[in-house]
Amino acid sequence: MPKITIDGNEIETAEGRTILQALDDAGLLMNGVDVPHYCWHPKLAIDGSCRLCQVEIEGIPKLQIACDTPVRDGMVVHTQNERVKEAREGVMELLLINHPLDCPICDQAGECKLQDYAYDYGVTASRFKEPRRALKKNVDLGPTIVFDQERCILCRRCVRFCREIPKTGELSVFNRGDHSVIETFPGTPLDNDYSMNVSDICPVGALTTKDFRFKIRVWFLEDVPGICTGCSNGCNIHLGVANNKVYRYVPRRNDAVNDTWICDAGRMSYRDIGAPNRLRECEVRDESGRLESVGLERAVEVAADRLRRLIESKGAGVIAGLASAHATNEDLFTFRRFLAALGSETSGVAVVHGNADNLLIKEEKAANAVGAREIGFGDARTVVDRIASGAIDALISLGHDALQEGLLGSEDSLANLDTVILLDTHASELQRVAHVIVPMRHAAEKFGTFVNAERRVQRVVPAVESPWETYTDGEVLAKLGAALDLEGFDGRYDVRQVARDLAASNSAFAGIDLDSVGDMGRPLADSAASSAVR
Amino acid sequence: MLETPYVTNYLTEHFGEADYPTIEGYERVGGYQAARKALREMSPDDVIELVKTAGLQGRGGAGFSTGMKWSFMPKEDDRPKYLVCNADESEPGSFKDRILLERGAHQMLDGILIAAWATGASTTFIYVRGEYAYPADQVERAVAEAYAKGYLGNNVMGTGFHHDVRVTRGAGAYICGEETGLLESLEGKKGLPRKKPPFPAQYGAFGMPTTVNNVETFSHVPHIVEKGANWFRSCGTEKSPGTTIFGVSGHVVRPGLYELPLGTPLSEIVFEHAGGVPGGRKVKGVIPGGMSMPILPAGQLDVPMANEFLREQKTMLGTGGIMVMDETTCMVRVASVVSYFFRDESCGQCTQCREGTGWINQIVNRIERGAGDEEDIEVLLDVAEKMEAKTICAFADAAAWPIQGLLRHFRDDFVEHIKQRKCPFSGSFEL
Repeated sequence: MPKITIDGNEIETAEGRTILQALDDAGLLMNGVDVPHYCWHPKLAIDGSCRLCQVEIEGIPKLQIACDTPVRDGMVVHTQNERVKEAREGVMELLLINHPLDCPICDQAGECKLQDYAYDYGVTASRFKEPRRALKKNVDLGPTIVFDQERCILCRRCVRFCREIPKTGELSVFNRGDHSVIETFPGTPLDNDYSMNVSDICPVGALTTKDFRFKIRVWFLEDVPGICTGCSNGCNIHLGVANNKVYRYVPRRNDAVNDTWICDAGRMSYRDIGAPNRLRECEVRDESGRLESVGLERAVEVAADRLRRLIESKGAGVIAGLASAHATNEDLFTFRRFLAALGSETSGVAVVHGNADNLLIKEEKAANAVGAREIGFGDARTVVDRIASGAIDALISLGHDALQEGLLGSEDSLANLDTVILLDTHASELQRVAHVIVPMRHAAEKFGTFVNAERRVQRVVPAVESPWETYTDGEVLAKLGAALDLEGFDGRYDVRQVARDLAASNSAFAGIDLDSVGDMGRPLADSAASSAVR
Repeated sequence: MLETPYVTNYLTEHFGEADYPTIEGYERVGGYQAARKALREMSPDDVIELVKTAGLQGRGGAGFSTGMKWSFMPKEDDRPKYLVCNADESEPGSFKDRILLERGAHQMLDGILIAAWATGASTTFIYVRGEYAYPADQVERAVAEAYAKGYLGNNVMGTGFHHDVRVTRGAGAYICGEETGLLESLEGKKGLPRKKPPFPAQYGAFGMPTTVNNVETFSHVPHIVEKGANWFRSCGTEKSPGTTIFGVSGHVVRPGLYELPLGTPLSEIVFEHAGGVPGGRKVKGVIPGGMSMPILPAGQLDVPMANEFLREQKTMLGTGGIMVMDETTCMVRVASVVSYFFRDESCGQCTQCREGTGWINQIVNRIERGAGDEEDIEVLLDVAEKMEAKTICAFADAAAWPIQGLLRHFRDDFVEHIKQRKCPFSGSFEL
């Protein structure tokens, strides 16, 4: 393996890597060794056109671009000397001559590479006396993206992205020289499942999403690491948070999961957090059949009473548990323990299915189908079949995935049940037949772990505080268990302790807890359950 | 009347003969004997060694050793190998390849066959610029004749060697004369030069090992094979052997083509062969090798036309397109025309080239309008320096050099415009 020295750091790198790739592999790029770059992107083909990443290599007279120069054993690279700095200043001056000075109204301000590098390598006054190039503003490229041609520095990341990642190739550079512009061909707008990634990779404010633009200045946002829960890929994201509100999801790089991308549907799913149909209060159905708002204590009390009555008359076998693949491992593990302590024999997990592709989008439309199966939940059809056969009198449902997936065709199939206890985040038809409803927290509002389709355990932490009286499935089940005097339930719930208990009781989760899983996640060990499912 | 150079040598001596462009005419004067000799009597390595020994330099502008270039083609490689004949002659001031295509297509094909044998190429793509409709027609006709005679195709001259030739027409972009821009265009893409490495010998046309040579370069090859390296070296200079076809244009009595040995003094070409400036006016400056080469002032015209001498004068032979400008010429206008061309033709990939060409052109135009400042000259030099040797291809250099040359030798013209706040050359050519 070639060894190279960059600014005194000795790096051992794989054969065939370029200087910039070697820095990136070593985690040093813009993190100890600053080599500014525009056209280069770790997940796109090398373009070598912005010419900003020039570095000095001992023994080579001309400065070389770091993005495209392959490493050679013994290479000595300087990225910070006067000559390199001068070259970067030269490129920056040329990039800035035609760039509009509209930072105060530009959405990119604060996370703009042109701004950042101009600060490092720019001059305070321009020598450019000619009229700035006038190009099209506010170009509607498609359903998701707006384009400002004047701000574009023609790094062509977006062009390469569309060609290489979704392979739809909607964007092209039209014309040439200093009249080059990026456009779409007539009749083929920028419209693919990943289109909004172009706004993330655009180093300037040329490509902005219609969703996020003008919403908030980015410097007010705190980036909280999290996971997209839209499907079982579990794309790593940053939740952009301000004023206890999530303004956007942007992809967070994790080469083991989603590289640097996220699908548009996942990105837009941030809107679920503050959606108008979020459940906001506990309700119980009174004798007249009306839902009545109550506190959590009362809801748990009613639920416990109803269940106890059934257990006393018919035994716990008439109680079924329907888990959600949206629930965390900790919630699911508590549910599993709860059902076992109760003596329920019927349970399953409902998973919503949808379209998949070969890139990120997975068929299972929830973050934790694998985790649920790993924890011991089988197919929800078992539950559905037993309800249909009349063997079930009470259902405890986490979420309404079974309804969404069409497993429970209508409320009628549930109407005959004596008791339906619903722990859910969002409104659904299931409310009509529920006797007890407790509002749950969104994944952005709690701690927990999920297992993605590639069997990687990943963590969420609270990015915002729920503005309503919401709970986690685990803590409600803990209270319900205590109310029913179940063994091992004292009403207390500590998510960290549950994670440790899970690790102790299930070998697949051995050694994994909320801290050790980290922001980047870690793989689940193989287990009997997983090989059975696979 | 047949178009023929004013001064001919081995490349062009038969160009005046009516049947020479046909295969019969070419064979009448010994054509294709060189290819026959190479294919039957020489190994590919022998051919490469011969061309190296002869010291043939590429005639497309860079002047790189042709034999060396051929030797870069990988030998242990199962992929098909290709040759590309660069007939995109797009350098302003250059028009030598045109006559070589129109009158000497078989001579070029003769050279292509030899090069194909030497490099193991299975196909040659001849990329002709779009504006060269008649030359392209002539090449297509010559290719058809060569196929009919069995000189191309499955069994070249009965030797069992296989070689195909395809003629492709460009659409008129200057950058498609840059070898990797050409390859992209050949593949049907936009002519954006490729970053190197990989060089065409590893990854060329359609991803296959490829050698790109200029029309004139190929045309010299049959003569070297036929008459030997020593014969070739007997003409021209020690480092730059052979002849080349100089294309003289501008303010001269006899603009046209002159096939002369490399090393012929520029003054001899301009004053003796081309008859000097008409009307008794004086020469002001001469561009020696196509528009991208830095200009030389009247005092430096004794330079022998070979790279080793021209480099000392901070210019190069380029394509041998000599442009003569007399004393009435406004060098700011020259800069304006030159910089407009490069601004328009830049492919726009690299920052320095895309933005620099436009900036230079705007400054020069402003100076020409009489709205320039003293500091603009420094900015021009600085921007030109920022463009030089820092981009994917040599286009940015080609755009920077003429501006640097004009400011090196004719800075006074720029200063006068700025002082007088107008163009002092009322008699200069119109923009």
